[in-house]
Amino acid sequence: MHLEPFEYEKPNSLVELEALLSKHADEARLLAGGTDLLVLVKEKILSPKMIIDIGDVAALQGITADPAKGLTILAGTKVSTIEHSAEVKEFAPALSFAAAQLGSSQVRHMATMAGNVCHGSPSAETSPVLLAHGAVLTIAKAGGERELPISDFWLAYRKTALAPGEYLKAFTLPALPKNAAVEYAFKGLRGAMEIDMVNVGVYLELEEDLETVKEVRIGMGAVGPIPYRAVKAEAELKGMKVDDAFFAKAGELAAAEATPIDDVRATADYRKKLMSVLTRRAFSAAFARIKGE
Amino acid sequence: MSDRKFSVIGTDQVRKEAPDKARGEAIYADDIRLPRMLHGRIKRSDYAHARIISIDTSAAEALPGVKAVVVGSEAPQKYGIVPQAPTETAMAIDKVRYHGEPVAAVAATDPDIAEKALDLIEVEYEPLPVYVNTHDAIAEGAVALHEDNKYGNIAYQARQEFGEVDKAFEESHLVIEKTYKTSYVNHVFMEPHSAVARFDDNGDLRMWSSTQVPHYLHTMLSKVMDMPMAKIHVTVPNVGGGFGGKGEASNNELIAALLSRKARRPVKVIYSRREVFLQHRGRHPIEMKVKMGVDKEGYITAIDYDGLMDGGAYGAWGIIILFYTAAMLHLPYKVKNVRFFGRRIYTNKPTCGPMRGLGGVQPRFALESMMDELAIKLGMSPYELKLKNAIDKKHVTVSGVHVRHSEYKKCLEEVVSESGYLDKHGKLPFGKGVGLAGGYYISGTAYTLYMSYKPHSTALIRLDSESGVTLQCGATDIGQGSNMVLAMMCAEKLGLPYESIHVISGDTKNAPFDLGSFASRVTVAAGSAVCEAADKLIEQILPIAGVALGCRADQLAVGNGEIYSIYEKEIRMPFWDAVEKYIAAHGPLSATGSYTPPRRTGDFKGGNVGHSPTYGFTAHVAEVDVDTETGEVKVVNYNEAGDCGQPINPLSVEGQVEGSIVMAMGQALYEEIKMTPDGRLMNPNLHDYKVPTMRDIPNIKTLAVESYDEDSPFGAKEAGEGPIQPTIPAILNAIYDAIGVRFTEMPVTPEKVLAALAAKGQE
Ligand SMILES: Cc1cc2nc3c(=O)[nH]c(=O)nc-3n(C[C@H](O)[C@H](O)[C@H](O)COP(=O)(O)OP(=O)(O)OC[C@H]3O[C@@H](n4cnc5c(N)ncnc54)[C@H](O)[C@@H]3O)c2cc1C
Repeated sequence: MHLEPFEYEKPNSLVELEALLSKHADEARLLAGGTDLLVLVKEKILSPKMIIDIGDVAALQGITADPAKGLTILAGTKVSTIEHSAEVKEFAPALSFAAAQLGSSQVRHMATMAGNVCHGSPSAETSPVLLAHGAVLTIAKAGGERELPISDFWLAYRKTALAPGEYLKAFTLPALPKNAAVEYAFKGLRGAMEIDMVNVGVYLELEEDLETVKEVRIGMGAVGPIPYRAVKAEAELKGMKVDDAFFAKAGELAAAEATPIDDVRATADYRKKLMSVLTRRAFSAAFARIKGE
Repeated sequence: MSDRKFSVIGTDQVRKEAPDKARGEAIYADDIRLPRMLHGRIKRSDYAHARIISIDTSAAEALPGVKAVVVGSEAPQKYGIVPQAPTETAMAIDKVRYHGEPVAAVAATDPDIAEKALDLIEVEYEPLPVYVNTHDAIAEGAVALHEDNKYGNIAYQARQEFGEVDKAFEESHLVIEKTYKTSYVNHVFMEPHSAVARFDDNGDLRMWSSTQVPHYLHTMLSKVMDMPMAKIHVTVPNVGGGFGGKGEASNNELIAALLSRKARRPVKVIYSRREVFLQHRGRHPIEMKVKMGVDKEGYITAIDYDGLMDGGAYGAWGIIILFYTAAMLHLPYKVKNVRFFGRRIYTNKPTCGPMRGLGGVQPRFALESMMDELAIKLGMSPYELKLKNAIDKKHVTVSGVHVRHSEYKKCLEEVVSESGYLDKHGKLPFGKGVGLAGGYYISGTAYTLYMSYKPHSTALIRLDSESGVTLQCGATDIGQGSNMVLAMMCAEKLGLPYESIHVISGDTKNAPFDLGSFASRVTVAAGSAVCEAADKLIEQILPIAGVALGCRADQLAVGNGEIYSIYEKEIRMPFWDAVEKYIAAHGPLSATGSYTPPRRTGDFKGGNVGHSPTYGFTAHVAEVDVDTETGEVKVVNYNEAGDCGQPINPLSVEGQVEGSIVMAMGQALYEEIKMTPDGRLMNPNLHDYKVPTMRDIPNIKTLAVESYDEDSPFGAKEAGEGPIQPTIPAILNAIYDAIGVRFTEMPVTPEKVLAALAAKGQE
């Protein structure tokens, strides 16, 4: 395989990383697992002049759970680590499940969630769950940091809010309130190694009565140029009583807000139908989870 | 079977090469690195159908590191697996016929330079109309892909008729007529085509390649390189699967040889996955109009088949496959009246060819679906209808094909009882269903692909008290395990452990002649040759042992590494002592064996095709869950009962059967090569071309029915191509049982299921 030549750097610390990034802002690309980046480079879709491998930056590795702050996942953490983490299983089981659906075991041992999110594919496996969780991103560069709700991160097809010199440092998933749950549903043609035809993450929070909707979030994937929230549906569903009619309504509204296209994987029409069914099923599962069923 | 006592045959043996393969230590063609070796890359066309106006390679030749550039006109000799009708050249000359066809090639000191050089080759084209479907290709006024072809874009066509078909239909109680379509699918073997070529100072060519057919590659290299066969030596290292896709010379092999001759250095040419899809030779999409009738009791009265095969750009195995689809109509059921009409069409696509179970899978899909439908319309269980029509132990078809041994009925009976089919069919809740289908395949062919009377397989066994047992046979192990099967047969015959047999195979100089690995021929053909050679050795040794033991040779037998009297326990000696004595007295000890299949033919066009020494049979029951909201079909349970004669290695048979089922399931549910209207492949990679993954594989139970073909080596028959035949209709029949929709096209994607359910709801 013929690759265009590039320089390769492997910093050991955040300071080194940030210095490299600010110096080579325009021509450098970060390499995490490389499972997206190297595919693009080999297909000559991208030809970065420099590749900065973050694999040795210890300060980007790790998962911590804090009852107040929630779950923090640093950007260099491998998808397989997220999949198997006891903290993630406890505080964000839907994320653990979504992580387990990404590619194959080999891919998950290389890939990172930051790469998944920064690559910006509309069908990325972890994005809908992160939207449903209302995750907050820590974005850093030499001399500064900022926080951004994940729903503001994707701007257009494979275009993110990262400015030159910036990188994604961490994900924070706010601690789930009582009576709340997140679920993830997806569909590909086959059971693994798939680019999903549709995926969706839902957040359901109930009032004390355990039947009135306090808050919902719906993160949809593969039905538009970016993963995004079905904000109109969310507004309409708030305050409803949870029953079969609610689940059906949630499906209908999500589908109505989906704007898919026809492509090799599925037609737009089928994607809308799937979005309706998957959203309904995901809400019904979230409700069951809250009730401890 | 119980009266036959074997010590090696019928035992589960682990392949000797398996640990090496698992550790990545096994040597494949791509692992071969020779001193001064160059890397070859292929320039491919940007048009699916165009005249080549000019090719300018001067800039590529001038690039430092480039050692040779070749173009099509340097090797104008046409070749093809069917020598009477060659259609291909090593690279395109004057015209390209599919997008991605080789037009030139470069050898350079490293792959990067070779790839760069490709970009420097300028090719000027004059585009021609592109035909990506058969109907456009044969429409009035269509431009012929091959100007020298007599019938425009109809590559071949043939009719066969047996019995009185029209009369039989008139007298039928029930007749169904339908059109079925199969899709454009690839084998997806793991190892892409790889070849290394080297010329020595004597002008002799050595080639290492991932081929299934070193013999045919040998003949085609001789033709294209214009060299005597004796100056060419083909060796097959480990091969990562073939399934038919490596069943004839491929462009990379010929190009490696051409580049190597020109550069006077060894050259390796390996394919990317995209190039595997371009070389293709996958299953022919066929549009089949099928008509079938039954009488009141469900006995088949007649079959009328009209198949339009999409052949792609070149001839390849096409004509053979056309006649196989004809032959497949006659079994495994008793049919007295059969009409066949088949046409194979040239289109601007990568060429279709032989793929596991060639010629059978498409008509089987149509016929088994149709029989299911006929049975249900008659108010009869599909099992009953199929059992009624199933052939008996011996059978002769109206086309003159002799089946010397069949346990097909047993297959049907056992798969139905194992799966609980009768308790489930028509009785499961909406969305769940079971489907039954049967099938068969040849165990080798009666004819070579060219006129020849030589034995199809030969073997040489040498016994030496120092180097042990060396079994040499040209048969080619492409991962199916033929080395193991032949070694097990040899071990059983000589009364020695399987591990002690050293096999040299897949080599045109170091092993005696064999046609190759295709048509499920090796176990019966090469196996027979090995058995004959081993028998001759024993005939030579026993008299020596008889003298040593003071006993008549005809009272001696071999077993457990000894030669012993079958009457008196104490009369015995170590096998190797007898070998040592033989060599001391007579010199080297070796023997050859050979196999020529019984010749039978019909006096009609294609009458040679379909005859085989013996046949394998199989029956399947698939159980599916259909998600009626998403349209997703999940195959949950799968049962198979097969008649492969005596399984030589039951573990391997199970592997072959499971592999067949999974491969066909991919075709039924997921796989399809997609093309743009201008002939570009849209998904020539394993991300977008979807083979089943571990997560999709159902719970599979396979079972070998009690069977022994007395005329076969150790009673064995094929097990690698029969089991792929019934899977698609079994799954589609199960889908019908689940949701009441009959699919006549593949793949059955969730989207199609949902659309069909919606259409059904509106009715
Ligand atoms: C065989 C295979 C199967 C796959 N299956 C799936 C699947 O099922 N579902 C799915 O969603 N994806 C799948 N993918 C895509 C890919 O594996 C995932 O998107 C993965 O999460 C990417 O992570 P990575 O660490 O490998 O990213 P990389 O390839 O290293 O990086 C991807 C992009 O993100 C940027 N980047 C990485 N880290 C950061 C950071 N900290 N800050 C800023 N930018 C950063 C890189 O510069 C690059 O542009 C598959 C890929 C392959 C090869």
